[in-house]
Amino acid sequence: MMSFSERMLKIDRRIIFLVIGLCTLLPLLYPVGLPIKISSEVRGVYDHIESLPEHSVFLLSIDFDPASKPELYPQAIALLRHAFKKKLRVITMTLWVSGTGMADQLVTQVAKEMGKEYGQDYAFLGWSPGGPAVIINMGQDLSSAFPSDYSGRSTKDLPVLEGVRSLKDMTYMVSLGAGKPGVEEWYVFGKDKYKFEMGGGCTGVMAPGLYPLLRSGQINGLIGGLRGAAEYESLIGQKGKAVAGMDAQSATHFAIIVLVIMCNAFYFSLRQQRG
Amino acid sequence: MIFLRRQLPLLITLITGLLFAGQYYVPHPASEQMLTSATKWLQIIGGFALILGVTSLFHQHAVKITRQEAGWGYSLVLYAGMLGTIAAGLWADGKEAVDGAMTAFGWVYNFMMVPLQGTMFAILAFFIASAAYRSFRARSREAAVLLVAAVIVMMGRVPLGEYLIPLSGDVSSWILNVLNSSVRRAILIGVSLGAIALSFKIIFGVERSYLGGGKE
Amino acid sequence: MTMPFELIVGAWVATGLTLLIFTFLYKDNPLFKLAEHLYVGVSVGYIIVKTYDTVIVHLVVKPIIDNGEVALLVPVAIGMLMLTRYVPKAAWMSRYAFAFIVGMGAGLAIPRTISSFILKQIEDTVRPLLSLAGPDGVTFSMNLLNPASNLNALIILFGVGSVLFYFFFSIEHSGAGKAVARTGVIFLMISFGAGFGYTVMARMSLLIGRLTDLIEFSDASYGRPTIWLSVLIIGTLIVLGRRTKPTPPEV
Repeated sequence: MMSFSERMLKIDRRIIFLVIGLCTLLPLLYPVGLPIKISSEVRGVYDHIESLPEHSVFLLSIDFDPASKPELYPQAIALLRHAFKKKLRVITMTLWVSGTGMADQLVTQVAKEMGKEYGQDYAFLGWSPGGPAVIINMGQDLSSAFPSDYSGRSTKDLPVLEGVRSLKDMTYMVSLGAGKPGVEEWYVFGKDKYKFEMGGGCTGVMAPGLYPLLRSGQINGLIGGLRGAAEYESLIGQKGKAVAGMDAQSATHFAIIVLVIMCNAFYFSLRQQRG
Repeated sequence: MIFLRRQLPLLITLITGLLFAGQYYVPHPASEQMLTSATKWLQIIGGFALILGVTSLFHQHAVKITRQEAGWGYSLVLYAGMLGTIAAGLWADGKEAVDGAMTAFGWVYNFMMVPLQGTMFAILAFFIASAAYRSFRARSREAAVLLVAAVIVMMGRVPLGEYLIPLSGDVSSWILNVLNSSVRRAILIGVSLGAIALSFKIIFGVERSYLGGGKE
Repeated sequence: MTMPFELIVGAWVATGLTLLIFTFLYKDNPLFKLAEHLYVGVSVGYIIVKTYDTVIVHLVVKPIIDNGEVALLVPVAIGMLMLTRYVPKAAWMSRYAFAFIVGMGAGLAIPRTISSFILKQIEDTVRPLLSLAGPDGVTFSMNLLNPASNLNALIILFGVGSVLFYFFFSIEHSGAGKAVARTGVIFLMISFGAGFGYTVMARMSLLIGRLTDLIEFSDASYGRPTIWLSVLIIGTLIVLGRRTKPTPPEV
């Protein structure tokens, strides 16, 4: 006969699935809206963009695919809104082939919402294969890496790229990376040689690994996961999907904490029973 | 033949490796021009590598279909999805949208690929919860430390945790910025040293598994 | 406002496919396998189209026709060599292509990695301590919450040192060495704990994103696909479950 603890430890995992599902669904349907504290990591990126003069060149590399959309898409939207609001010249691109359609869509959507004109205020260069090779090639000669933009227009003819020959001419660059190539590659193959100021955004899984670069000032800010996106949305005062997801994030984290505590309680009671 | 098949490739690796490692320290215009051209080449070759990577699936599923092995119907679905996407893509000149209007290719991307890939990874949420319940136990002192750190960070990074225990936010921020930073820095240095050692082994022909393919 | 027809159909397809993948949570089943294979097929098709359009059309053909950059045929030739892997007799020729990209990759990475990840990281570990002695004599800030404080700089130096010691001197430790290695392990465990916390955060965010879409698609303007398709898929699972022998769920 199994003891209570033993039975609880061997519970059908689908019950846990159900708990997690409900903890996500219910707060999305009935949000509470708890306040979100701003971390210095996210503020680093925000303050830097805030300090840039009009017409500075801002490069946003959208280095993720649909697998990380929920975390990084809201970051990209918030950053673009901020950059457009500051009247920066916005250059966007991606190093992830499966993210191309998504990157195009989000850039077009935010530009339309902010009344920006393609070619004049912003550009989307599209995707090019080779990861690090693309970064180095852009550092050497932008029009070599991207002879034409996403829609096939020659990059040399785009007014927004006037005077921008290579990565050296970027005032600020942010990579929103879900893996390789991402923030680290942009530093190693880009900033290391071409010396532009750089910030980073990444998935939650990657964030702890980028703290050494943040400490050493190799990146001047870090937006980590959905939480980071929510902070950025709060900073620019335009709450979106990330802020909306924070209650569900709270609920699921607490569900996991409770599960971990329960599992340990049963484990220790079982160990005691067995002596 | 041995020279062509075995030694020449190793020689190419040696020369390109040393050339591009040395290039970093030589800012002469000719050296920079070489870097520009070579990285452009690498971009184009990268495209072929990508195709090589994905097309290995073709053969595997084609065999399944022709032999009508178990589950060959699924392979047929895979082929249909692939060919359908390629047709839509070529029709739309490889563009998901033209002047803001979605093409058929964009439709396949937005309403099939995005939700499919997104959900594939979203189900991991359930499995990490189940794994946490089953195996996250304080069996030793080290495991207990790991567990406590995880709980603090999970609390400190969500609004509810910071609301209930305001200190949790500061503590998790300290863990990430200081303790975690130092460990990740050590790992970064260690991994980089390893990567550099491997790069040298490749350049000097000690490590040659990448050559693979074909007989001697 | 009426919804364009392709968006409504899109919402139904996206919802259906999302739910098909979610059925895996109940158990592995034909509906999931169908969606899984469709995912692989569509992704491969997408990558092929994008690569063709970007590489062949925009990086090779256009520059050759417009500017006469015939040198670009060299990387195309190297790329083609790579594809000889599919011809058993000529597969060895692919080695030239791999030799080129692997050699160049290694060459490009060595100096840049040394500069970015070794020198810069070591410098940042040591420099804060050198700056202890400022113009007004030796100062030491104890504030734990300020990541840049001297106390934290010391902790970092100690953490980096002990973890590296643990990595590189994996021989049996004794005495002081043992204490340092044990400290390294504790540091590692704390960092792995933080990593686990962040992984949980990331996974939950992905689920939140998918459920947000499903909630959006339960709206009447789309014809409530989430609700109707949930009913349909659960029904199908029940029918499938009756046809096949029940198997106990995996633990």
